[in-house]
Amino acid sequence: MTLLLGSLTIGLILALLAMGVYVSFRIFDIPDITTDGSITLGAATAAILIVNGTHPVLATLAGAAAGAVAGTVTGILHTKFKINALLAGILVMTALYSVNLHVMGRSNVPLLQTENVTDYGADIGHAIVGSEDMDIFGWETDTADFFVMVLAAFFVAFVGALLYWFFRTNVGTAMRATGNNPQMIRALGANVERYVVFGLAVSNGLVALAGAILAQYQGFADAQMGIGMIVWGLASVIIGEALVGERSLGLTIIGAVMGSVLFRLLVAIALRWGLNPNDLKLITAVFVFAALVLPGFIKKLKPNKPAAS
Amino acid sequence: MLEIKGIRKTFNAGTVNEVRALQGVDLTIEEGSFVVVLGMNGSGKSTLLNAVAGSFYVDQGKISIAGKNVTKWPEHKRAQLIGRVFQNPFSGTAPDMSIAENFAMAAMRGKNRGLGWALSPKVTDALRERVVTLKMGLEDRIENAIGSLSGGQRQALTLLMATWLKPSLLLLDEHTAALDPKSAHQVITLTDEVVKRDKLTTLMVTHSMQQAVNLGDRIIMMNKGKIAYDFSGPEKKRLRTEDLLDCFEEIRRREQLDESTAAMLAEQYI
Ligand SMILES: Nc1ncnc2c1ncn2[C@@H]1O[C@H](COP(=O)(O)OP(=O)(O)OP(=O)(O)O)[C@@H](O)[C@H]1O
Ligand SMILES: [Mg+2]
Repeated sequence: MTLLLGSLTIGLILALLAMGVYVSFRIFDIPDITTDGSITLGAATAAILIVNGTHPVLATLAGAAAGAVAGTVTGILHTKFKINALLAGILVMTALYSVNLHVMGRSNVPLLQTENVTDYGADIGHAIVGSEDMDIFGWETDTADFFVMVLAAFFVAFVGALLYWFFRTNVGTAMRATGNNPQMIRALGANVERYVVFGLAVSNGLVALAGAILAQYQGFADAQMGIGMIVWGLASVIIGEALVGERSLGLTIIGAVMGSVLFRLLVAIALRWGLNPNDLKLITAVFVFAALVLPGFIKKLKPNKPAAS
Repeated sequence: MLEIKGIRKTFNAGTVNEVRALQGVDLTIEEGSFVVVLGMNGSGKSTLLNAVAGSFYVDQGKISIAGKNVTKWPEHKRAQLIGRVFQNPFSGTAPDMSIAENFAMAAMRGKNRGLGWALSPKVTDALRERVVTLKMGLEDRIENAIGSLSGGQRQALTLLMATWLKPSLLLLDEHTAALDPKSAHQVITLTDEVVKRDKLTTLMVTHSMQQAVNLGDRIIMMNKGKIAYDFSGPEKKRLRTEDLLDCFEEIRRREQLDESTAAMLAEQYI
C-alpha cells in the first residue's frame, strides 16, 4: 500500500511536469529540452530556500518562478535570436546544469529535517482522522501518506483547471493557434513571438513547480534529477492521448495527468518485477519513439481514405 | 484607403540569388475601391501584398493605410487594419481548432486579447447566423475542427473571418487558385457580395482574366516589380478578356525586344 501510495503521489507531482510538457510540446509545438534543467532548477531553488529558513510555500513558488525565467530565456533565444527551438533548449539546459550547482552550492541538498509543503498534507490528515494509521478498503494505511496524496491530487486538479481556463480565454485561444498555424494568428494581430516566450515560461514554470514539490516529497534536491525528464513528460502526454483522445483541450489536460500517474504506476510495477533501474530511461525512450512513430505507421497500413475535397 | 509611394524590395541583396521583386511601386487606392491585380508569375504581385501586410519591411518607400503611416509597423500590428485571405486554404485557419474558435479569434483581430472567455454566446450566435447564409450546412458543424472541411469551405470561412471586423483594407492573394471550379465560383461570388455590402477597400490578385473583367472597378497589371498598366473607371468597365490578353502579349513582346537588343549590344561591344 505504501508503495502504491508513493507511486500515485509521485505520479501526481510529475503530472505538473506532464502539463508543462503538454503546453510546450502540444500547444506550442516545441519539444523543449529546457525541461530537464528547469525541473532541477525548481527543486534546487526551493530546497536551498527552505534550508535557509524561507517558508516552504514561498520557496516552492520561487522555484516555479525560476523555471519560468529559464523558459523565458529559451523563448528569447528562439524568437529574438532565431535559434532553432531544440538548440535553444539544449543551450539553456546545459547552462542550467552549472546554474543549478551554483544555486545548491553542492550536487545534493537533503531536506529531511525541515518542515515542507508535504507536511500540510500530513497535518490535514491527522486533524481529520486523528490517528497515525487509517483504514482504506481494509488496508492499513499511513494517514500522512494518504493525505499527502490527496493534497497532491487537489493541487494538480487546481492547476489543471487553471490551465484549462486560461487556454479558453481570448488570449489563451490565440496562443493555441500559435502552435497550430502561426501565419494565421499573426494575420489576426497576435504577436506570435511574445506568445511563444510566454508559453515556454508557463511550461517551464510548471515543470519547475513539479521539481520544487518533488524535492520536498522525496526529501532532497539533486543535480542529476532532471536527466530525461522531458522524455518522461512526453511519455505521460502520449499515454494520456491514447487514453482520452486528443480532441478537446479539457480532456487532453486530464489525459496528461492520468498519463503521468499511470506511467509512474507501470514503472513501479516493472521495477517490482525485477526491471533493472538502469534500463528505465532506455525503455522510456523506446516507448516514446514507438508512440510517436506507430500511429503514422498504422495509418500507412490502412487503405487510404479519400481525402475531403 | 491605401497609399503606396515608391516602394522597393530586393530579396537576397548582394548575393547570386538577388531578386529585385519590387522596383518602385506607386499606387493609391481610394476608399471602397476594389482593385484586381494581374501579372505573370514572378512579377511581384504577392510581394506587393506581403509588403502592404507587413510580412517584411520594404527597403524604400512609404505605405499608409487609412491615413496611418504603417511603413514601420510589424505585421501583427497592421492586422488591426488589414483582413487577409491566402492562396493556400490551409494558411488562413487553425486546422485543429473548431470553426467557432477560429471565429472567436477573428472577432478579436488586432484588438487587445484579454482574459475574457473566448467562446461567448455572443460570438457563437452571430457566427451561426452568418454561416447559415453560406448555405454550406456548416451551421451544425461549428464545434467541428476546421481542418475537417474542404478547401472551398475553408476559404469561404477564412473570407468571413477576415471581414468579420470590417477591415480598412482587404488583401486577397489568389484565394481561389487552389480550388476546384465550382468552389472557386462560390468563393468568388461570396467575395463580391461581402466587398460590395461592406464597401471594402480591396486588393485582389488573380490569374483569371474572367474574374478581372467581372469584378472590381480597377485593374492593375504588374511586370518586373512595377505597375505596367492601370485601368479604371469607364475604361475598366469596357475592358474585355481579349484586351487583357493583348496587354500580356505586349509585355511579352517588349521583353523579347529587350532581350534581342541586349544580345545585339553584347555582340557589338563584347
Ligand atoms: N521571401 C522571398 N525570398 C526570396 N525571393 C522572393 C521571396 N518572395 C518572393 N521572391 C521573389 O520575388 C519575385 C516576385 O515574386 P512574387 O511571389 O511576388 O510573384 P507573383 O507575381 O506573386 O507570382 P505568382 O503569380 O507566381 O504568384 C520572384 O522572383 C520570387 O522568386
Ligand atoms: Mg503570388
